[in-house]
Amino acid sequence: MISNLDSYLSQIRSLSSLLGDSTMRIEANVRTALTTPEIYGIRQIILTGSGDSFFAALAVAAALRGWTGLPVHPMVSMEASRYIDHGRAPLSGRNRGLLAVCISNSGEAARLVEATHRLRSLGAITLAITGDPESRLAKAAEKMIGISIPSAAPAPGTRSYMASLIGLYLLGIRLAEVLMCFTMDHAGALRNQLADLSKPLEGLSDVCEPLIRETIDAWGDFRSADVLGSGPSFGSASYAAGKLVEAAGIHASAQDIEEFHHLNYFVDTPESVPAIVFGPANSLAIQRTRELVATLEQLGRPHLLVTDSGEFSPRRNVLVLPRVDELFAPILHTVPGSLISAFAAARRGVPHYRGHTGPWRGAKEAALVRNSPIDIQTR
Amino acid sequence: MTQSFNLSTERSGLYDVTAMAEEALEASKITEGMLLVSVPHSTAAVTVVSPWDERGFEDINDEVNRLVPTRIDFKHQHDTPQDAAGHIKAAIIGHSRMFFVSQGKIGLGHSQRIYFFEFDGPRKRTVQVQVIGK
Repeated sequence: MISNLDSYLSQIRSLSSLLGDSTMRIEANVRTALTTPEIYGIRQIILTGSGDSFFAALAVAAALRGWTGLPVHPMVSMEASRYIDHGRAPLSGRNRGLLAVCISNSGEAARLVEATHRLRSLGAITLAITGDPESRLAKAAEKMIGISIPSAAPAPGTRSYMASLIGLYLLGIRLAEVLMCFTMDHAGALRNQLADLSKPLEGLSDVCEPLIRETIDAWGDFRSADVLGSGPSFGSASYAAGKLVEAAGIHASAQDIEEFHHLNYFVDTPESVPAIVFGPANSLAIQRTRELVATLEQLGRPHLLVTDSGEFSPRRNVLVLPRVDELFAPILHTVPGSLISAFAAARRGVPHYRGHTGPWRGAKEAALVRNSPIDIQTR
Repeated sequence: MTQSFNLSTERSGLYDVTAMAEEALEASKITEGMLLVSVPHSTAAVTVVSPWDERGFEDINDEVNRLVPTRIDFKHQHDTPQDAAGHIKAAIIGHSRMFFVSQGKIGLGHSQRIYFFEFDGPRKRTVQVQVIGK
């Protein structure tokens, strides 16, 4: 019988081939999703979803902003649905300048489907990024980018998160290319750069597993954790925190590196609340990351730093990944971000998603997120 | 034999490639015949222009852009608006020019030089020259 851990590790170890096999296939879908006039009509972009889909939005927003020069807002689906207009009359005509990118691998998250209906009725261009072209989301949206991937052994969303990242990165490159923010040659180079991340991903799990397993063992029976990062790495931190909750039932909070110094710094049991930090060396937040590491040590908080620089070595709590462009770092971060929760769940001996039994039985077959009534009445 | 030359371009404009053609002719040792200048690109062209006033180059660029402005509603939407316009400009101007060769010289008048015309740069481009004759 394949254990939860085996299934999860299988997904994590397959990410390299997934990226290599899927990128150009998804690119063909992206290229035809929006017409040139539609792209030139965009004045702002919302990236909306829930759970992993929202974390993918967080991870990619900085790239889209930087490449296109457009305002790009990651937004949870509740805000995109219920609070985007909050009683104001639709700004008819002008809303056509809003591109709402609605992300859900299953395409059945009720709040996101609701958001898509409402945004479409307000006049936005609604673009679904989903793995199911027959889903409620695909039918609610005006346009769709398919990101379906081969199924794998069940585990907390890992491959689906990677597929969402690929779709979003490729959308950003395409928008910037058509807007002539950079040349076609540069756009092609970025696409190849994305696809070629399959090379540093290959075998990365094997490299990371020993230190992460050792770190989780050293942390013992921790019940909460802070997961920290800035910019694209805040998306990575959010994803890793989400996996700790889903897989291991640990109360993990994602926080921006700057915000930590204002907020979770003040946790009153520092020795029992580990911190996981995603801090690429070429990050625009690297100086604050250095300060953070010093702060964590002064607090006596156990911590694991995921970086790509040897400047923090040699230390037992530093995981050094291959260096990539900061904007693409979330791709590689998926591996340690998932492994941490995989080993934490295995050490605690808990089933993923609490087995959808007992108090958590309501989440069986994603009922909690799929069956919430959809309310598309305008206010 | 076809000789190839490399050229790095900016976003758009005219690039004097007469020296490339003359170099290829000299290497061929041909003194009487025909010389072809060609580009293997769908968003670039070859043309002949007077070199004496640089502002004349701007006129040509401006008029080509006036005839084929970069718009967002071309039917060709696979790449960018500039690429789509570039295909049209290249089709109108043409991807090659043929010149006679006499007494070892290219048949160019006093106010004529050969130019590569970029419509969708910046790019790394190629100019090909073939000489036939005796």
